[in-house]
Amino acid sequence: MAIWRFVNLIAATLVTGSLVLVGAAQAGSGGSIAWGKPTEVISFDPHVSGDGASWSFFHLVYDQLLSTDDDFGLAPGLALSWEEVSATSYRFHLNPDATFSNGRAVTSHDVVANFQRLTNPESGGVWGKQLGEFEAIEAEDDHTVRFDLALPNPVFLKVLPLTPYSILPMTEFEAGTFDPAVDILGSGPFMVAEHLQDESWTLTRNPHYHRAGHPLIDELVIRILPDDSARIAALRDGRVDIATFANPDTPLLLADVPGVEVVVQNTTNYFRLDVSAIEEGSPFTDLRVRQAAHYALDREAISNIVFGGQAIVDYPVPAGLGYEACRDDPFYVMPRDERLAKARALLEEAGATGARVGVIGSSTLMIYPLIAQVVQANLNEAGFDAFVEQIPAAEWYARVFAEDTDFDLAVSWFAGYTDPAIVLFWWTQAGAAGWAHGYTITDDRLDALVARTRMLPEGEERNDALAEVCSVINENSNVLALVNKPDYVALRSDLIEARIGRNESTFDNLKYAEEFSRLD
Amino acid sequence: MRLLLHIAARMGMALLTMLSVSLIVFVAMRMLPGGFEMIILGPIQTEEARAVITEQFGLDRSLPEQFLSWLVAVLHGDFGISMITRIPIADEILRRLGATVQLTAMAVITALCVGLPLGVAAGLADSSTSVRTCGRLVGALGASTPDFVLGVALVYIFSVWSLGLTVGGYVPFFEDPLANLRAMILPASTLSVFGIALILRTTRESVLTVMTEGYITGAVARGDDPASIVRRHVLRNASLPVMTVATIYLSLLLGGAVIVEILFTVPGVGLYTWNALLNRDYGVTQSAVLLFSGVIVTCNMLVDIAYALVDPRIRGRRQQ
Repeated sequence: MAIWRFVNLIAATLVTGSLVLVGAAQAGSGGSIAWGKPTEVISFDPHVSGDGASWSFFHLVYDQLLSTDDDFGLAPGLALSWEEVSATSYRFHLNPDATFSNGRAVTSHDVVANFQRLTNPESGGVWGKQLGEFEAIEAEDDHTVRFDLALPNPVFLKVLPLTPYSILPMTEFEAGTFDPAVDILGSGPFMVAEHLQDESWTLTRNPHYHRAGHPLIDELVIRILPDDSARIAALRDGRVDIATFANPDTPLLLADVPGVEVVVQNTTNYFRLDVSAIEEGSPFTDLRVRQAAHYALDREAISNIVFGGQAIVDYPVPAGLGYEACRDDPFYVMPRDERLAKARALLEEAGATGARVGVIGSSTLMIYPLIAQVVQANLNEAGFDAFVEQIPAAEWYARVFAEDTDFDLAVSWFAGYTDPAIVLFWWTQAGAAGWAHGYTITDDRLDALVARTRMLPEGEERNDALAEVCSVINENSNVLALVNKPDYVALRSDLIEARIGRNESTFDNLKYAEEFSRLD
Repeated sequence: MRLLLHIAARMGMALLTMLSVSLIVFVAMRMLPGGFEMIILGPIQTEEARAVITEQFGLDRSLPEQFLSWLVAVLHGDFGISMITRIPIADEILRRLGATVQLTAMAVITALCVGLPLGVAAGLADSSTSVRTCGRLVGALGASTPDFVLGVALVYIFSVWSLGLTVGGYVPFFEDPLANLRAMILPASTLSVFGIALILRTTRESVLTVMTEGYITGAVARGDDPASIVRRHVLRNASLPVMTVATIYLSLLLGGAVIVEILFTVPGVGLYTWNALLNRDYGVTQSAVLLFSGVIVTCNMLVDIAYALVDPRIRGRRQQ
């Protein structure tokens, strides 16, 4: 037996040694891969940044405490494991190999200071609110952190993989040698070597990355190519190996490009229609008019006309998360003819037939004006006199997300994240404060329902609560979910090997970038 | 002395124009809805977080205060930093200037090389119906096709069939001259079409006008060599209006370059200015517009001075 143990030990040593050698051979020998990205990173500070274009970049250089898998489940991030000590206490065990790209190990202190910054209203902004209140955040040792919550929050763990909860090097921040508004320094697979604004980012492999032998490539070049055609041309002539698109025609446009594979990445994100419910003079201050607009919406038409049938009808509780809530709501299930009749009747009852309303479809995303056009047609069928307003982002923000709003309807989108309670929080007064309070009504019943949903663990009771929340949201007809928002990732599968997640809930479009490799 | 006074007057006017343009752009930028703090933080954010940003960049100060501090800094050669990247604006503009200069230079050279000979030929052979029709057709088509329409069409065509040229693949000339030219031919061609038409039509009209002058008839009657008549009389006398439109064209090019740089993702000053405008990066927009206005007024000033040098009657008239 002892001989066999010895033989096994030798074999295991040889295998392990070979793997290490292979890993070492692979590391740093993978060349460069280029990503054609449609939008530039606007804000460099993940704690306050609020745009998905920046978020998809942050995941390449920053780590979060937890991550998600392809089924929206939780996966290890900087924390290799975690435990629920009690209903209000969680303990995280950090990866001892986790190191920032400057060579300093990630410690519990970094985690604690990050969450203190996030929960400070001035520095963390809106994202601290999603975490709830803490009794304490403590470093038990260099690699163990304990969070004591003020109230039970089953959603707490599911919030942690979100981009704003990226772990920054807080020791350097406190020493004044790292400014998150200007510098980018994380523990993720890549680090920034060069940035040419509006042109490109050159990321090189983080030599201290905690996953041995990874990333497989030496360099990831991000080329900012806002025009779809420019990205298609770049894919065709090999200037980029991967490109991301929001355009639903992407698979068609790339069908003839040799070697290109298009992956439709399902997300929990969905488009929505914001309705101006409290602005003086808006016809939508009348609940009947809001409901008329809601009944008039034809989500199937949006999917078919704008997305070529590839999008699915979505609900306040994101369809991508697999919940059944909202599915039997009359605003959705009633046949289209009946809904139109109902809309016309409501509009007439409110004396608002022929009401002239603008539908803002900002030019920020090429999809917005297209959705706005279908919404316009839907509304006109019901007796509105709707028109489309195509305006730039800054004007849209100023007219909609302000104290004094100036709009009727506006197309936008919500990130669905990893749990419905996270997105539903934006419907509450606390969640809407500071950005949507200018157009959303105050509904204490809804606030209480969402708070309850947040406290409930997975199960029948939570499903019922979600259904109730959905029903109230739809009845209020203030923020209307439309259709889901898939992302399209095109890659030169003849040149590179790249695993692309089929489902994504945290804007980590290139989640497996550390495993990308060149075939040539 | 007269010439020096003329130049001094023109320079004074140029500085006044640049100051006025800066003020107008400053006011216009601040009147646009939505501020930098909205863009940088996105729509879902708290008032407190936005207030931190506005205070950090001095956007909460009064408008006159903001303008004066910017102007004083510019007069000291400090254009400030980009609020997005925190990099000095002068460095960012300088880095992008090469692409814009190359684009405009290629467009001007193409316009002159194609437009001038065609215009002279069309003017000289005006009696031929086919040449006249052809000249007018090319002129009308070029002048009436907006560069953004042509650009969009070219971007689409060359993204589907590469045909040896690239869309959005700018590489600095000194890094890879061939790749640079492959990327710059399409934007420069787009930008030059209007110039070709403008120079063709102007040259043709000028040549036609000059051809009716008595000294041309005299030269022909003397039996001068036709090539010599064209070179010595026609081209020289027709050059003044062509010089004027070429300058106007150069001014137009700066506006056109913004659109073409956006369409073809050429990382020049135009694209930088456009993105800054969308991102409400005020300092960048103001500095870039100051640069553009500087180029335009300088061009106009140089033409004025050149006029004065070429034609003494002009400087005499200005002094009266």
